[in-house]
Amino acid sequence: MRDLCSSAVEAALAAGASYADARAVVRRSQAVGTKNGRVDDLSDVETEGIGVRVLVGGAWGFACDRRLEQDAARQTAERACDFARAAPGGHDRALAAIEPQQGAYRTEVVRDPFDVPLSEKVELCLRAEEALRHENVNVTQAALRAQRERKVLVSSDGAELEHELVECGGGIDAIAVGDGRYQIRSYPSGHVGSSAQAGWEYVEGLALEREAPRVAEQAAALLRADPCPAGVTTIVVDAEQMQLQVHESVGHPTELDRIYGTEAAYAGTSFLKPGDLGALRYGSPLMNITADATTPGGVGTFGWDDEGVPAARKPVVVEGVLRGFLTSRETSAKIGSGTGGSMRADGWSRMPLVRMTNLHLEPGHGPVEALIADVDEGVYLETNKSWSIDDKRLNFQFGTQIAWEIKNGRLGRMLRDATYTGITHIFWGSLDGVADPEAWRMHGLTNCEKGQPGQHAHVYHGAAPARFRNVQVGVHA
Amino acid sequence: MPESALEIAERVLQAAAGEEAVVVAHVERSGLARFAGAEVHQPTLIDNAVVELSVVREGRVGVAVGNRLDSDGLAELARRATEAAASMSPDPELPPPAPPAEFPEADGFDEETAALTPHEQAELASSAIGAADGFPVYGYFTSGACEQAVAATTGLRAGQRFTDATVLVLAAAEGASGYAERTSWKVTELDTAATARESVWIAGRTREADELEPETYRAVLEPYAVSELLEYFSWDSFNGLGLLEERSYFSGRMGQRVFDEKVSIADDALDPRGLPKAFDFEGVPKRRVPLIENGVARGVVWDRSTAARAGNGQESTGHALPASARKWGALPMSLDMAPGEAESPEALAELVGDGIYVTRLHYLGIVEPREGVITGMTRDGTFRVRAGQPAEPLVNLRFTVSVPELLSDVLGLTRRRLLVNQSEFYDERYPTAALVPALATACFTVTGTGSGPGV
Repeated sequence: MRDLCSSAVEAALAAGASYADARAVVRRSQAVGTKNGRVDDLSDVETEGIGVRVLVGGAWGFACDRRLEQDAARQTAERACDFARAAPGGHDRALAAIEPQQGAYRTEVVRDPFDVPLSEKVELCLRAEEALRHENVNVTQAALRAQRERKVLVSSDGAELEHELVECGGGIDAIAVGDGRYQIRSYPSGHVGSSAQAGWEYVEGLALEREAPRVAEQAAALLRADPCPAGVTTIVVDAEQMQLQVHESVGHPTELDRIYGTEAAYAGTSFLKPGDLGALRYGSPLMNITADATTPGGVGTFGWDDEGVPAARKPVVVEGVLRGFLTSRETSAKIGSGTGGSMRADGWSRMPLVRMTNLHLEPGHGPVEALIADVDEGVYLETNKSWSIDDKRLNFQFGTQIAWEIKNGRLGRMLRDATYTGITHIFWGSLDGVADPEAWRMHGLTNCEKGQPGQHAHVYHGAAPARFRNVQVGVHA
Repeated sequence: MPESALEIAERVLQAAAGEEAVVVAHVERSGLARFAGAEVHQPTLIDNAVVELSVVREGRVGVAVGNRLDSDGLAELARRATEAAASMSPDPELPPPAPPAEFPEADGFDEETAALTPHEQAELASSAIGAADGFPVYGYFTSGACEQAVAATTGLRAGQRFTDATVLVLAAAEGASGYAERTSWKVTELDTAATARESVWIAGRTREADELEPETYRAVLEPYAVSELLEYFSWDSFNGLGLLEERSYFSGRMGQRVFDEKVSIADDALDPRGLPKAFDFEGVPKRRVPLIENGVARGVVWDRSTAARAGNGQESTGHALPASARKWGALPMSLDMAPGEAESPEALAELVGDGIYVTRLHYLGIVEPREGVITGMTRDGTFRVRAGQPAEPLVNLRFTVSVPELLSDVLGLTRRRLLVNQSEFYDERYPTAALVPALATACFTVTGTGSGPGV
C-alpha cells in the first residue's frame, strides 16, 4: 500500500499539485446483534481503496478509487488534480509547517476481536439478553462490534505513516411498552453501547450479563414512573450524559473549520470566533476540557492524524476560559497558531475533516453522593435518550432515559421522559461541581456525523457526574 | 464496456456456489463540489462498487460486504458470509430469498446527468456562487450515477440505473441567512443560479431578527421543514418493525382517523417526479403504498422479514434496507404528501393570520417515538406572521412538537410541491427525496429561542 500511495503522490505532483497526500485504507467491520433471543444481525464488511487529496493553485481536489492498483492510484491522483483545477474561487491556502513524519502505530490488544469466533460473540449476546428477561420488558437486544483499520498515509511533505487500529464494543437495551408508553434503558450507554480501541478484553470488561437485570428492572419501572415535572431547578448529570454534553456543546463548537464557516450549510457554525481564544469565558472555573489523541483505549487515539500531524494532548478549556481549538494544518495556518492534529477521514473515500479525537471533562473533587447531598430540590439525570442543538451550538435540548427526583440531598422517586435545555455558555457557567476521578468514566461513540458527503467519526469522551444550577427541565410538546 | 452491476452480482453468486444466496451489487460514480464563501473546499470524486452477499442456510443468514471484486476477493467474501451464516441461530420465521418478479417501469436515469464531468460539476457549483452576486454562500452541487442489481439463487434477477443531482445553497452573512435547494434525477431540471438567488433573497429579509415568547403558534412550514419532520416521524411510525414493536404512533390506531382529513401521505418510489426506483434491497418490486388517506391511518411499509412476522397475509411492500442494516426495519424513502389548494406559502400565511413562518429545520431529535414528539431548531428564514402576511424576522426557535398534533389541525397545503433531498450521502450513494407541499398548522409549539440567523 505504501508503494501505491507514493505513486499517487508522485502522479499528483507531476500533474501540477503543490501538495498531495494519499491514504490507502483496508477496513473490516463486524457486527453481531440479537433481539428477543434471536440473531438479527450478523454482518462482516470489508472495504478497501485509496483516496488522494491535492492542492493545485491553492485549491483542494480529492478523488478516490476502490482499486488498490498502480494504474488506479495514478489515475485517481490525476482526477483529483483536474477537479482542483476546475474549482471556482480565488484560492489562497497555506498549510502549517510540520516536520516530516515516519513511523507506525498499532493498537495494543490482548485478544484480537477478530480471533474471537462469531459463535462466541453470538453466545455472549444471547446470554446478556437472557439476563434482560423481565415480564414487563417487550424487547431485549444486545449488540457487539469489532473493527480493524489498516491505513498508510504518504504525503509530499515527507509523511510515511502506517496505522493498524483495532476497536470493539457493545451494549444492551431493554424496552418496555405499556399504556401507550415506550421506555428504554441501555447499558453501558445509549445508542448502540460503547466502544474502545482495544482487544476483546474491553468487551468482556463491560460485564453486560451482570448489568442486565438492573437495566431490565429500570425499563419496566419507568412505565409506572411519574413524568419529570417542568421547572427551573438544580440538575446532577451522570457521566454518560455529560460525555454527550461535552461532545455537542464543547467539541463541535471548538472545531476551527466550523468557526471559519465550512460546515455552515450542514452541521452549522459556532458561537465562537477566532479572536475568542484565550479570552472567552466558556463556563465556571470548575470547567476543564482536554483534547487528547493519546488517551489509552480511546477510539479517537492515533499515532498521527490523517495529515500526518503527531497525536498530542491539548487543553481546550482551562478553569472556564477557552484555551484551544480543534484544528487542521490549514486552519492552524489561518489562525496563525499551532500545527493542527485533528484531521480525520471516514475510510478511504472521504477527505479528512477537523474532528474530535478524545475530548474529556477533567474530574473534580468528591464523590457523586456529595454533589447530590448539596441539592435541596433537583433532578438526577442518567443516560442519553435524545439530543438536539442549534447551528451555532448555543441552544441545546437533551432527553435522558431515566431520572430521579432529588429532595433534601437524597435521591427520591424515579422520573420518566426527562429533558433539560439551556444555552451553552450560560449552562456551563452554572457548573458548580464535578465529581472526582473515582466517578470518571469513558465511553466511545461511533455515530458522530459531519461533512458533505457525510462522514461518521468514532470519538471518545471521559467525564464524571456534574452539577448545574438553575436549569430548565421537563420540556414537553 | 465496464462490467454491469448485474454481471458483478452473477459473479458473486458463482463464488457462493452451493449456497442459497442473495447478492446486492451497487456501483457508484459521483462528484460533489462543496463550497463555502466563494470557494470549493471539499471536492469529492468517488468511484466505487460494493457487493453484499447474504448466504442462507437452514433458517440462518450470514451477511458479508466487500468491494474487492477479483476472484480472490469474491472467494473471501463467500467464505466470510458462509462463516457468518454458520454462526447464526436458526430463525423459523425467516422468509426465503425473494422469487423472480416482474418489475415496474421506474424511469430515473438521465444520460446527461450521468455524463457530467468533474469540470462540469465544478462549473455548476460556480454558477450558484456567481449568482449570489457577492453574498457569501455555502453548500454544494452534486451529481451521481448509480447502478444496482439484486440476484438470488431463486432465479431473481433485477437491475436498475438511477441518477441524481442536487444543488443546495445557504446564503449567510453576519445576522442574515436564507436557504434553498433543488433535487432531481435530471440535471437540466436544476437551475443552480436561481436556487442561489432564492437563498440570497430569503437571507436579505432576515436581518435584525427578534426573539419570540415560547408558546404554541399557528405556523407555515415550507416543504424543507415538512420533509424533515415527516422523515424523522417515519423512522418509527411508518416502519413495519416499529409497528410490531409498538413504538409506532399507529400502534393500535390503524384504520382510525389520526390526522386532519386534508392530510394524505403515501410512499411512492415509482413517481417520475421523485427519484424513481423499481425494487428494494431484497429485489421486491416497488409500489405505491398509502400510509395516510384523508387523515385515516392506512398502512406502514414492510420488508420480507417484518411482513412474515406480522402474519395475516402481510406481504413486503418493497421497502427492505440493505441486509447489513435490516435490523432497523423497513423505511419509506419516497414519501409523497398530497397537495392542497393554496396557491403559495404566502396564501398559507393568510390562513395562519397570526403566527410564524418556518423555512427550514435543524438537528432534529426524537424525544418520544410512540407519541411522535420531535425537537429541533428553525433556521435560515424564520419570520413572524401578522395579519396574514410574513412580517419581521425571528431568531432561530427551539420547537418541541408532537407530529400527530401538528398534522391534526392543518389549515391548508400548497398546490405546488417540491422534491426535497433527504440524502446526506453517508456510505454508498442511494439518493432519496420526499415530494411535499408547504403546510399551515394550528399547532407548532415553540419551547425556546436560540441564536440569530447567519454565520
